[in-house]
Amino acid sequence: MNATLHVVEKLADWRERALEFEREIQKAVLGQARVIRLVTICIFARGHVLIEGDVGVGKTTLLRSASRALGGDFARVEGTVDMMPSDILYHTYLGEDGRPRVEPSELLRLAETLPVFFFNEINRARPQVHSLLLRLMAERSVSAFNRVYHFPYLNVFADRNMVEREETFELPAAARDRFFMEIPMAAPDDTESRRRLVFDPAFHDTETLLERVSPGSFDYRKIPEVSRAIQTEVKSSEALERYVLNLWQALVKPSSAGVSLPDVDVSSLIKGGASPRALAALARAARVRAWLEGRNYLIPEDVRDVFVEVMAHRIFVDPIHALRGDDIVKRLCRAAFDATPVP
Amino acid sequence: MRIACLALALIATLPASAQEPTVRVHSARPFGYFVGDLIHARIDVSAPENAALSRASLPKPGALTGSLDLRDVKFREVSENGARIWRLALTYQNFYVALDAREIEIPGFDLAISTAEGTETVKVPAWRVGVSPLREVAPQKQDDPVDYMRPDGSTPFVDEATPRHLAVAAGVAALLAFALVARDRAWPPFQRRKPRVFSALANEFSTRGAGSDGSELDAAIQSVHRALDTANGATLLSADLSGFLHRRPEFQPLRMDFERFFSASKRCFFGDERLSDDFRAEQLAQFVNALARRERSG
Repeated sequence: MNATLHVVEKLADWRERALEFEREIQKAVLGQARVIRLVTICIFARGHVLIEGDVGVGKTTLLRSASRALGGDFARVEGTVDMMPSDILYHTYLGEDGRPRVEPSELLRLAETLPVFFFNEINRARPQVHSLLLRLMAERSVSAFNRVYHFPYLNVFADRNMVEREETFELPAAARDRFFMEIPMAAPDDTESRRRLVFDPAFHDTETLLERVSPGSFDYRKIPEVSRAIQTEVKSSEALERYVLNLWQALVKPSSAGVSLPDVDVSSLIKGGASPRALAALARAARVRAWLEGRNYLIPEDVRDVFVEVMAHRIFVDPIHALRGDDIVKRLCRAAFDATPVP
Repeated sequence: MRIACLALALIATLPASAQEPTVRVHSARPFGYFVGDLIHARIDVSAPENAALSRASLPKPGALTGSLDLRDVKFREVSENGARIWRLALTYQNFYVALDAREIEIPGFDLAISTAEGTETVKVPAWRVGVSPLREVAPQKQDDPVDYMRPDGSTPFVDEATPRHLAVAAGVAALLAFALVARDRAWPPFQRRKPRVFSALANEFSTRGAGSDGSELDAAIQSVHRALDTANGATLLSADLSGFLHRRPEFQPLRMDFERFFSASKRCFFGDERLSDDFRAEQLAQFVNALARRERSG
């Protein structure tokens, strides 16, 4: 009993620090409160993130700020068409004596202290590289130099280039399902934030900008423990669980749940996805959101708040609709929420 | 009938006998035809009961001579007094431009008849009609050249009542059809009043009560949620409250009650607590009654 009380108190304390962590990032990243909240949820749910955003909207600044606020290191890799897995694992160079040397790459060197690993333009890299990355994501470990390197605190953030189609290798459905969330990031909407981003010199120099973020406002070494405590302590009632299962049914078999979309035959819309892993991720994310909101139980708003980001990239629709982007999936999610009663 | 059964010729191909085929040619008149006139003739062929006429032997419409066409052939078969009679109605057209009154010949033709004894040929004989030349008419001398013209025809009398009645009937039918379409599409005044979900729920609560403690009250809260969903047109969560009150401003004064209801529902269904004392069946019934009143005012 005392132990439980102790955990509850610690969770409340950790929550304050998590909110502080968000505020620190907001000092460097302007007008992205929603994105920062979603990134925070992913970090405390220990889920890897696919970031979808135009160039120059501040993805790298966001991730470097997050890494700094967590007090850990930051590593970044640029995906290229000729990249091989060994390029990520090994650093090769010529030594002073003119002989070739092979050393561990930055990723391996920082393995124990790396909370944020940014893979830029993941769809430029070949499937062999995807394969390595998927293992890194799933097991938080890689094999190199004939031994296994562990990454106990790692969160992978990957960005997809959605502008060009040439020389890209689109992530297959199975790989996309491994990502916990897909977070869209766009330039801020409000005029004041836009004005400051363009005219305030403080936002032109990333290095000085990052100095605004106090390092280590939340110790990254605590995250696995906090994550476990959140998932254990935040409860889901029977009504809430029934609601989530009904939502699942509405997504997988929309017509049977009375979900309809104008101009779309929903009975043949969904071709796959919405896996049990997806629903488990949804529950994890919703629990972290409830914790950040100061509750120890889940409510439907928690589920709805993270639903599209957790689920949309894991739902695969008929190719004829897929050509129209993910708008149809978002509309389907909205219709499923509208049609599913609660409690 | 103008054909006065004027028998031009009665020709028996064989000596008269009840069993032998006979032919009669009837014409309207045997004279007075001008160029272009139609000459109607009826030819009756009577034969024994068991005889059959070969249709192929009937004359075919077309040019017969340089100035005579056969325009039409109609054929009818009747039985009369134990004999079979074939009636041919033939229409010829005369193109002979006569300069004086004279007779022209209408050529004869053969008909094939088969009887029990075998096949016979019955000859329809040629016959003659008188044709006349066209002559100018010499009118009586008139002083005014206009008098040579025929007078204008009189204006026909048109009964206006019938078209007016038809127009009124068509108008009424169009209005009726429009009313049916309007009813089908729920155009005003056929639009249905929005269902009063909260009034129905308040009535239900007043008859059977909002439920005492426990599962009955849970069910009552759920039924309020379903009514709110219906009023919203989609599932209504507490986060959607502002949007809902913006769309349905008649419920705006009840914002505090809505928040209390959602908070209690949240704690009851999703939190690990029972309903607190400040939200029980009476409060729920009052909330629903207030909703019903605002709904009627909206």
